[in-house]
Amino acid sequence: MIIERARINSNRQLAHQIWEMQFEAPQIATAYKGSGQFINILARDDWNHPLRRPMSIASAEGGCVSIIYKLFGGMTKVLSKKISGETVELLGPLGNTFSNWNNGSYPILIGGGVGLAPMLNLKQACEHNKIDHTIIIGARSGNEHFIDHDPTKNIYLTTDDGSIGEKGTVMGPLEGLIKENTNAVLYACGPEPMLKAVKEFAMKNNMNAQLSVESYMGCGIGLCQGCVIQRKNSEIQSHSYHEKYSLVCMDGPVYQATEVDFG
Amino acid sequence: MANLTVTIGNESFDNPIWVASGTFGYGTEAPELVDVNQLGAIVTKSITRQPREGNPPPRIVESPSGMINSIGLANIGVEKYIKELLPIYEGLSTKIIMNIAGIDIQEYVEIMEMVESVSSVIAGYEINISCPNVKKGGMEFGVDCEMTAKLTEKLRGITERLIIMKLSPNVSDIVSIGLSAEKAGADAVSAINTVVGMSINAKTEMSDIYTTYGGLSGPAIKPIGLAAVHKLYKKLGIPIIGIGGIVTGEDAAEYMLAGATAVQVGTANFRHPGITENIIDSLNTLLNDSNRSFSSELIGKVRTHS
Repeated sequence: MIIERARINSNRQLAHQIWEMQFEAPQIATAYKGSGQFINILARDDWNHPLRRPMSIASAEGGCVSIIYKLFGGMTKVLSKKISGETVELLGPLGNTFSNWNNGSYPILIGGGVGLAPMLNLKQACEHNKIDHTIIIGARSGNEHFIDHDPTKNIYLTTDDGSIGEKGTVMGPLEGLIKENTNAVLYACGPEPMLKAVKEFAMKNNMNAQLSVESYMGCGIGLCQGCVIQRKNSEIQSHSYHEKYSLVCMDGPVYQATEVDFG
Repeated sequence: MANLTVTIGNESFDNPIWVASGTFGYGTEAPELVDVNQLGAIVTKSITRQPREGNPPPRIVESPSGMINSIGLANIGVEKYIKELLPIYEGLSTKIIMNIAGIDIQEYVEIMEMVESVSSVIAGYEINISCPNVKKGGMEFGVDCEMTAKLTEKLRGITERLIIMKLSPNVSDIVSIGLSAEKAGADAVSAINTVVGMSINAKTEMSDIYTTYGGLSGPAIKPIGLAAVHKLYKKLGIPIIGIGGIVTGEDAAEYMLAGATAVQVGTANFRHPGITENIIDSLNTLLNDSNRSFSSELIGKVRTHS
């Protein structure tokens, strides 16, 4: 883990309330291990908001790191006002990565909301390694999407209101896809209801699924013990002092679906 | 460079900047980001007799200039502490203060006896009698003079190492609790623990913390901490260790002016694990600028209007 003062290269709106920011962060980009990892951003130097904000890394290459973030609350608004040339302090890369997507199985990448950031990242890794895959991205409405629905390219979009892509949740396209791909493995990041549905789906169909979970985070490095989730059947080493919980910042954010207890 | 050395009981500390219990793990978590040997002391995360899983999430939430936590004393338990951490502490040059918590006097006693029965380099104990986040816990000691005295006295009989009683701000009269600890043989008191607080999301109409109430920390509580330290300083003869919202060298100096012999940095570690290095540097600069040779010259020197 590295603390790096990073110059903002670009900060642009991609869709309704969805923004992308790219930083020059050579040390973090070099230390980056793969999709799933995140950075903890300090957007302001004053202490009105003492805590950093964790953001999934959407890309890391050429000495640069990018994030995709959704506007909600004061801190993301502050981020959206930043212009290129300004600097912010990053802590990272933190957390673990999605695994085994390159071992011969068929990855289906599922992103909901800003949970699509690590999925776009994983998609890029699949493309780079010439691994066939499909991506499904869910949003409430079409104005939150910024890539095109194109099933011929294995890109499926869904919206709650049906304004773009398939109407409904990411589970719709998923049902059809696993009939065609018996060796599919699911990779998902998004809000808890979506992850819960993906988990149940994977268990019902006896499939392997890896979930990147969200959690309210304090420090990102195991000091505050704030970001726990309940876990079960887990073999992973735990930083939470007790087997009942797992620290998302250190043990996660990526878990096997079977390890996460959504209660 | 000013001389930052401070003395508490029979222990001398290289500087008055310590890290607070529960904000720095067991001191081994972030070696890449902070050189722990430059700290005056590490107060390790509260240890109970048995490991504790802690409270369900959500455990933390940010609040204006602060945060609210309800971790629930999640910890590894004293046996693991003795076996795995005490040997690591042998290799550190910084002082280790072990924070312990119990649900009754017997538990505190048992923990301390277990640690005293092995050889270790720890400089002393901070006794958590003020955690607001466990249903049945230290808090009942922290709000009661008699219980505080009884516990302190009992522990005094077990160890010659430092005993620092950590005081709660969630009481009507923190000074009387501090005096009870002093009379019963405490070497020092630390103040303040977190302030009971609550956070509500108006949109979801939900409380933000699983246990409903949690402990408020960070710059938001600095004025409360300063007043507590100043009041304690006026009545107590033993050293006071100031805690609450310290993020700069100036904050540390303010606590010393109010009467603190040393200070503990807490919530700021979550944002910058290495912030204590900056605080030590800026305290030094501040002392040089005011032509002081010793940081201890600041202790209790605040000038008041009346």
